[in-house]
Amino acid sequence: MEFQLAWRNLWRQPRRTWLTTGAMVFCNVILVFLVSLQLGMYQLMIDSSLRPFVGHLQVQHEDFLEGQKLRQVVPAAATVAADLRSNLQLETVSARGQAFGLASSEERSYGVAVVGVDPLFEPGVSSLPGLVRQGRYLESFDAQEAVVGALLAHNLRVGLGEEITILGSGRDGSFAAGVLTIVGFFESGISDLDRSALHIPLGAFQEIFAMESAGHSVVVTAPSLFEVDIVKQRVEQTIPSGGDLAVRDWNALEPGLRQAIQSDIASAWFMYAVLIVLVAFSVLNTQLMSVLERTKEFGVVMALGITPSRLGRVVLLETTLMGVIGAVLGMVLGVALLLAIGRTGIPLGSIEELAAQYNLPSVIYPRFSWIGLVAGPLMVMMGSICAALYPAFRLRRLEPVDAMRSA
Amino acid sequence: MASVSAAESTPVVGSPEVTVECVDVCKTYRQGDLEVVGLDHVSLTIEKGEFVSLSAPSGGGKTTLLNTIGGLDPPDSGRITVAGTRVDGLGKAERARLRLEKIGFVFQAYNLIPVLTARENVEFVMQVQGVATATRRDRASAVLAQVGLDGLGDRRPTQMSGGQQQRVAVARAIASEPAIVLADEPTANLDSSSSQQLMELFVELNESLGSTFVIATHDLQVMGYTRRQVRLLDGRIVGDGPPETASHS
Amino acid sequence: MRSLLAFAWLNVQLAWRNLWRNYRRTLIMLAAIVLGAWSMIFMASLARGMVTQMVRDGLRALPGHVQIHHPEYREDPTVVNSMPPLSSELRSSLESESVVAWTSRVRVPAVITSERDTRGVTLVGIDPERERLLSFVADDLAEGRFLEGSDDKGLIVGRKLLERLETDLGKRVVVMSQDPENDVAERGFRIVGVFDSDLAVFEEGFVFAGEAIVQQMLRIGEQASEIAIIGDDYRDAERLAADVAVAAGGELQVEPWMELDPMLQTMMGLLDAFILVFVVIIFMALSFGLVNTLVMAVFERTREIGLMLALGVAPRSIVAQVIVECVLLLLVGLAVGNLLAWLTVSALSDGIDISMVAEGMADYGVGSVITPRLGLRDLAIANLTVLILGFLASLSPALRASRLEPVKALSES
Repeated sequence: MEFQLAWRNLWRQPRRTWLTTGAMVFCNVILVFLVSLQLGMYQLMIDSSLRPFVGHLQVQHEDFLEGQKLRQVVPAAATVAADLRSNLQLETVSARGQAFGLASSEERSYGVAVVGVDPLFEPGVSSLPGLVRQGRYLESFDAQEAVVGALLAHNLRVGLGEEITILGSGRDGSFAAGVLTIVGFFESGISDLDRSALHIPLGAFQEIFAMESAGHSVVVTAPSLFEVDIVKQRVEQTIPSGGDLAVRDWNALEPGLRQAIQSDIASAWFMYAVLIVLVAFSVLNTQLMSVLERTKEFGVVMALGITPSRLGRVVLLETTLMGVIGAVLGMVLGVALLLAIGRTGIPLGSIEELAAQYNLPSVIYPRFSWIGLVAGPLMVMMGSICAALYPAFRLRRLEPVDAMRSA
Repeated sequence: MASVSAAESTPVVGSPEVTVECVDVCKTYRQGDLEVVGLDHVSLTIEKGEFVSLSAPSGGGKTTLLNTIGGLDPPDSGRITVAGTRVDGLGKAERARLRLEKIGFVFQAYNLIPVLTARENVEFVMQVQGVATATRRDRASAVLAQVGLDGLGDRRPTQMSGGQQQRVAVARAIASEPAIVLADEPTANLDSSSSQQLMELFVELNESLGSTFVIATHDLQVMGYTRRQVRLLDGRIVGDGPPETASHS
Repeated sequence: MRSLLAFAWLNVQLAWRNLWRNYRRTLIMLAAIVLGAWSMIFMASLARGMVTQMVRDGLRALPGHVQIHHPEYREDPTVVNSMPPLSSELRSSLESESVVAWTSRVRVPAVITSERDTRGVTLVGIDPERERLLSFVADDLAEGRFLEGSDDKGLIVGRKLLERLETDLGKRVVVMSQDPENDVAERGFRIVGVFDSDLAVFEEGFVFAGEAIVQQMLRIGEQASEIAIIGDDYRDAERLAADVAVAAGGELQVEPWMELDPMLQTMMGLLDAFILVFVVIIFMALSFGLVNTLVMAVFERTREIGLMLALGVAPRSIVAQVIVECVLLLLVGLAVGNLLAWLTVSALSDGIDISMVAEGMADYGVGSVITPRLGLRDLAIANLTVLILGFLASLSPALRASRLEPVKALSES
């Protein structure tokens, strides 16, 4: 009975109902589209920030994250990595060493981040080996060769096959030096890496920096971002306990990334909240007016013995029905918009450079997801129903005799 | 009366033949700054199957009396029993249930629910009572036939004449077989032939179904159809007996 | 003319009274407009504040509104691409009135080594007296002292770098770079000052020494890497750059900050677009309620409008009435919304502490405190957009009202 009454009441003033529902539809389309776009962007940001270097997880000395010291090592790093690979049944695990040094060519010297990698497994944890634009990536575990960032190579004025010297201090405080042949240039698009990173085989790294068999991290990439927590637990169970090793996930390794996303979410939600409250006002206005218009009718129905709470349910149901229409139309139009734009993506054009700072490519694609589809319309619906509570509760104060007498 | 099973459990007060019993009922209400006496120590008994008219000049208290009997407006003092249930002292929700289950209302301005068809208006009260769909359908058809609206069940109120709308209102009032039907100036908005037809319908229903009717009116013609006339003046009963003949008309 | 004014005034009065006939509806709509206006202006202020901060920080980081370099330096910032000592022509141009302050710097990549660790940094040789007028290092000094002259033998480092190097104030470090012949240029420095910065990159990546000392270390005589200039207003940097470029001659590259850090410029352009989009989206959400309110108001007054038309009132004056009603409603809502936004921004004039997420924001060049800024232009954009779009939204219900058939309208109950 409530449903029938509510549905028919909606169409007594079709224009008003459509305008109110229209506000919901508009808001829902915006929410579905923007939330999907945001999710797409975050995914890209995370992927493109983590894949070139950081990975999802790293096993490190517990103080390495804060200190970044040469002596804060993972002993027998390659063995730890091999153990993890077999224990996790996961190939995407690789050991690394990291140090600072002065890289000198014939003409120039630059301070660089020297990364020692396992050429066999590095492609599994990082996209960098695939980003070699000229030459090749590293091949053998202890060859005296290096792959450098394209900008760094340009600044050092070195070409393929030429040699550079690495100077620094070793783990034991000794003078560290090595001569390496450039075998490739990579271009990651991340200026930090392209400007100052230099990859050499882990074996060569260990030799130059007197590391013996130690490294600084074992990088793990989980099959997907959603499985990071599970993999992290398993890694924690696998690494030697009681030692001074720690497992860091990408949140810890790149705190800026999550915070940048969080602050973006916060500012986006400010707008969403305003939109939702505006829709709620619209609903409040419509429902309050429609309740006031029907005072006399409500009086009669109450005289027949219908309780005010039952009438209140009719009013709430009217709002819910509008909310459902608004949600369905909003989702349909929102998905249509996503499909239309998903084909071409959104070219960032003049803000490409800005996007690059967030590690975003020049074209971004909204990402369809159930949460992106449902979250907005659900909030709009809840906001609307909350707004209809006041007109619905007003009915409780209504006395049938007075109500029937009202004009 | 399967639908009013809840009422059967309440103890019956007084004679089963007595439908309405008012004892010393008083009611005043405020109109602006003025205290208006609505009912002044009214005592009245109406038995099952009676056909009563309440007559009074404007402001004489007939609507107030109908509303207090019907549980719309609680009395200030006195005792009211309707179909074995004490009405005075009931809470809002209890009064709503009383109206739903025991009382049928017919108002001056038809007051149908505009978004529902004639049939749906008739079914409405039964629907709220929780009567099964099939029973409800049959009952609505029967009642609509009884009030002479066979075949008009699917019309909306706006598609019907005033007389037809008021017949739907009557059908709605008797559909759930209430203990008493209270009608407040049911003919006031109708032309004379429509009101004549309506009163003939009331008489017919009273005779064939044995329903109890109380009709507030100031129309002598209407009073002529009833079998008992209670006259009110300034909230007091000033006369109770057979109706004055409609000699003036 | 007088009668026209009188007529307009009558319409305003009529509209005002009509608004308050259904005070609940008007109040709810007003609340929505106030919220919309407040959110537009507050959001714009917040974003404007953030971007202004970014630009300021960016300018402080450069620092300078205009910089002069060797043409190759920006591409390849090494000692090789240093610029020769100032020509007298350029020097006199730098002393002109439009230049508030200028300084020269030597800025080269270097490696710093303590007893415990080694880091890559940017070594900046500065003239402390002049630098004080341009950059933040002197203000942000947390411990120790600032450099006392171009030939001061001390070194200023960021706190984070100090921690990384596990060294301390008063301790010695070695800074290594290259001279123009690509021989190692090396020098020991004593750390005399430590600075804190909102921007982690600075704390970790920059060290400051006396310009003369650095020139000596790098064996470059009087050469410098860059000349930095500030003028009266950073927004006028392009003109300043053009003036200086004339004096600098063709051998040197003179660039305003917009070219030095094009991202800052992009940010500002993006912000304008963002504010407009935000305003339009919020208005659209608002417009449904607005049209609804007007439609209901016209609907309720069908009879009354019919009567007016029957009495001979011109349909366009009915249109005017509805539009005036809408504009009046918007004006009141905007006024209150603006006031609230102003109050909010004033209350937050100390800035909003976002240090909770500051680390992440710092990576993207935003400090840990955002101070909302109420810009006149943003105010104008928000208010005008709402009024113009509001006027457009009121047209449909207004025209509809004016097209009522008087007889039919009168007969409606």
